[in-house]
Amino acid sequence: MAVVNRLNCKIGGAAGSGVAVLGALFAKCLQRAGLEVVATNDYPSLIKGGHNTHKIGASAEPMSAIVGRYDLLIALDKLTIELHAQELNEGGAIIYDSDKVKNAEELASRKDIMLVGSPLTQMAAKAGGEIMFNTVALGAAMGMMNVDFSIMEKLLTSIWARKGQKVIDANIAAARAGYDSVKAQNGSFRVQIQEIKGKKPQMFINGNEASVLGAVKAGCKFVAEYPMSPSSSILHLMAGHDFDYGIIVKQTEDEIAAANMIAGAGAAGVRAMTATSGGGFALMAEALGLMGIAEIPAVIFESQRAGPSTGLPTYTEQADLLFALHASQGEFPRVVIAPGDPLECYKEAINAFNIAEMVQTPVIVLLDKFLSEASLTIEDVRVIPAKVDRGKLQSDEQMEAQPGFKRHTFTEDGISPRSIYGQKNGMYVCSSYEHDETGFSSEAPDMRVAMIDKRAKKLKSIPDYIIAPSFSGADEAEAQILLVCWGSTKMPMVESLKLLAADGIKARMMHIRYASPFAARAVLSALTKAKKTMIFEGNSEAQMRTLILQKTGYHIENAYLRYDARPFKPEEIAEAAKKMLKK
Amino acid sequence: MTTVAELNSGHMPQWCPGCGDFGILIALKGALAKLNISPEETVVVSGVGCGSKIPHFIKTCGFEGLHGRSLPPATGIHLANNKLTVVAIGGDGDGCGIGLGHFMHTMRRNLDFTYIIQDNEIYGLTVGQASATTKKGVITKSTPHGTPEDPINPPLMALSAGATFVARGFAGDIPHLTDLIAQAISHRGIAFIDCFQPCVTWRKDLPYDLYQKKCYKLEKEGHDTSNWDAAVARARETERWPIGVFYKIDKPIYTDQIPFIKDTPIAKQDISNVNIDKFVEEFL
Ligand SMILES: Cc1ncc(C[n+]2csc(CCOP(=O)(O)OP(=O)(O)O)c2C)c(N)n1
Ligand SMILES: [Mg+2]
Repeated sequence: MAVVNRLNCKIGGAAGSGVAVLGALFAKCLQRAGLEVVATNDYPSLIKGGHNTHKIGASAEPMSAIVGRYDLLIALDKLTIELHAQELNEGGAIIYDSDKVKNAEELASRKDIMLVGSPLTQMAAKAGGEIMFNTVALGAAMGMMNVDFSIMEKLLTSIWARKGQKVIDANIAAARAGYDSVKAQNGSFRVQIQEIKGKKPQMFINGNEASVLGAVKAGCKFVAEYPMSPSSSILHLMAGHDFDYGIIVKQTEDEIAAANMIAGAGAAGVRAMTATSGGGFALMAEALGLMGIAEIPAVIFESQRAGPSTGLPTYTEQADLLFALHASQGEFPRVVIAPGDPLECYKEAINAFNIAEMVQTPVIVLLDKFLSEASLTIEDVRVIPAKVDRGKLQSDEQMEAQPGFKRHTFTEDGISPRSIYGQKNGMYVCSSYEHDETGFSSEAPDMRVAMIDKRAKKLKSIPDYIIAPSFSGADEAEAQILLVCWGSTKMPMVESLKLLAADGIKARMMHIRYASPFAARAVLSALTKAKKTMIFEGNSEAQMRTLILQKTGYHIENAYLRYDARPFKPEEIAEAAKKMLKK
Repeated sequence: MTTVAELNSGHMPQWCPGCGDFGILIALKGALAKLNISPEETVVVSGVGCGSKIPHFIKTCGFEGLHGRSLPPATGIHLANNKLTVVAIGGDGDGCGIGLGHFMHTMRRNLDFTYIIQDNEIYGLTVGQASATTKKGVITKSTPHGTPEDPINPPLMALSAGATFVARGFAGDIPHLTDLIAQAISHRGIAFIDCFQPCVTWRKDLPYDLYQKKCYKLEKEGHDTSNWDAAVARARETERWPIGVFYKIDKPIYTDQIPFIKDTPIAKQDISNVNIDKFVEEFL
């Protein structure tokens, strides 16, 4: 009996051999067929050589992480068969180039799977160029699962539209050749895809892309960035859309320049951002404090990779939490947000820009390699209300009526009306030194205390509903265990809840998005009401557990920590929770 | 009409009596008045050092950033609102020590603003260590055996980086410096002035009269400011110290490449409801 609309596929090959392109096309085909899709990747920090894989999960039901073994393996080289054949389900299949791999049986060394070899490269050459061998492979894969060919045809047409009809035709011919080549196997493969019709079109998007989209929606107009994996695709995507959305995108000489540039742009009244990873963020530390003391709004996306130092550039970790919270000398308010999936990246990017201006302080959005590059199907984000709130930014008209304006005026909530350069009555010196209400340097003890208190107060005006943790899974009253996570660990944990439920275990998840300000009361309440608690983090020191203890006094005794620079798997979270419950 | 009196901030400069920074402050005010530039539409951007306190002593907008980092925020401000007049200013330590990377990169971008180095050949604020422009052999607090390395030559660096306006001034010749700053601000593109600034506290060996003796004016001797090689040759002189404009050419500026700010700077553009339909379609 075939499985309908539930597929796990792995694509493997040498770096630079087209794994990423094939992965993207494959995922997109299934998305267009109306399925929910998850795609993640794994690659070394190399341009050519080294082993790359893309994993794609598809299902009729919403999903946020791949669960279980694979059904299909597309092997762009021998090594992929050797390394991954054992990960296949019984009845799974391997698609490979029969000209390049002559000993597939031997490499796979199992009899319970289908070996689907065809001369992919030769067929591509016939269709118009060897380079299209991955389009042939795509065609073969879709043919095995009986995906309607028109879906692929439409996809290839839109993807290659810029290159002209000739390229489109050649790609369609290549896909067709692959599709027809598996006619013999047609119907015998264990997974069959049936198009789900009448569904609203969904977006297929990763964390970096969703962050960019959110930033653009929020009215970000200035991006200064120095490339660093895994944040660089933010720079590329912004640069690729600069003229479309009127955004100035500046590649800077270093991260110090990037952070100081957005400080200047922020003071001048534009919504400005930078993106980096931990190493670049380290270089931004001093400018972060400048934004703090000078009350400049700006947004910094920090996509964590495995550290310390250069670390593992293309692998994931959640080990910059306490660094993001404490970077820079002295004390000043900052906001640290760790979205859990691409949809939250979009929403929190908008929140980040609004909060930065409302509170007039830097906002750090913590991503990580896994989230930055994990693609998920999400609802069309245009249905999400997105309001631009510029806080106490004064209009030109408001400023006209305010002679004697003081930029850092003491107020009830600590937030002062804000002028920008060029406005009448708005002149002031935006200073890195401690200052009085006008911005003039002051080292008087009373003024010092007043200013520290003023700035610290500002975070209190961020509403509770924004910073509250989110919950899912079993109800609070009946849950046997509360699983705690933050940032990208949400994606595998959501799937682990389903696995536990299938085993009759009632588990509840608490996902913490805001590390600063911290929703101490809500978090403490959930922890104290839980029968058992356990935290899952992608670091070795249980940094969120430390933060929770510091903010609430509650110590979560059980921690499951993963620091091999790989993301959590839903199965291991479920296993760990079960083990804990047995204790 | 912008007057010099209008540009007084009301705060007394906290510099040592006789400091060259007074002359630079007077010249900067004079230049803004001469060009009749609105103080509200002027931003003086500095780093950290004695000289970098200047934004507080002139009644314009100001940005007193981090040590060595006057140029990145100046760039950010200029790109955010290219209708503003931006003058970045800071010490030799600020620009040629900790901030040298920004100096070189800013010079090559031909952004439309002015950068002045208050060059006293010493770290003033941190009480007298050698800087990148301190000449070899000079005894300072950090170099009791004499500075062990040759100095950086700021105009030469600016020329080699591709700056389109390169000049040197002297804080002791205020009318001349005022004119230079006015030329720099009027220049369409990046304008750099290395300004000799006597430090009466830590460089008593470099008094005003020594500068007066050594300095000569390029415009008096006749110098072709459009000739880069001639500019380089002048900048390399060590026996006599040329002041005036070394080099000035017209080239398209950075923001000429950004069509969407021709009329309205990004700081003034409406962001209340950005339409992202096209972007979303890429992901459908
Ligand atoms: C990151 C950093 N390092 C060091 C300092 C200390 N510091 C302040 S000003 C200065 C040097 C000042 O020399 P210069 O830039 O020539 O300015 P001057 O005081 O001579 O006008 C130093 C080292 C600092 N403020 N920040
Ligand atoms: Mg100095």
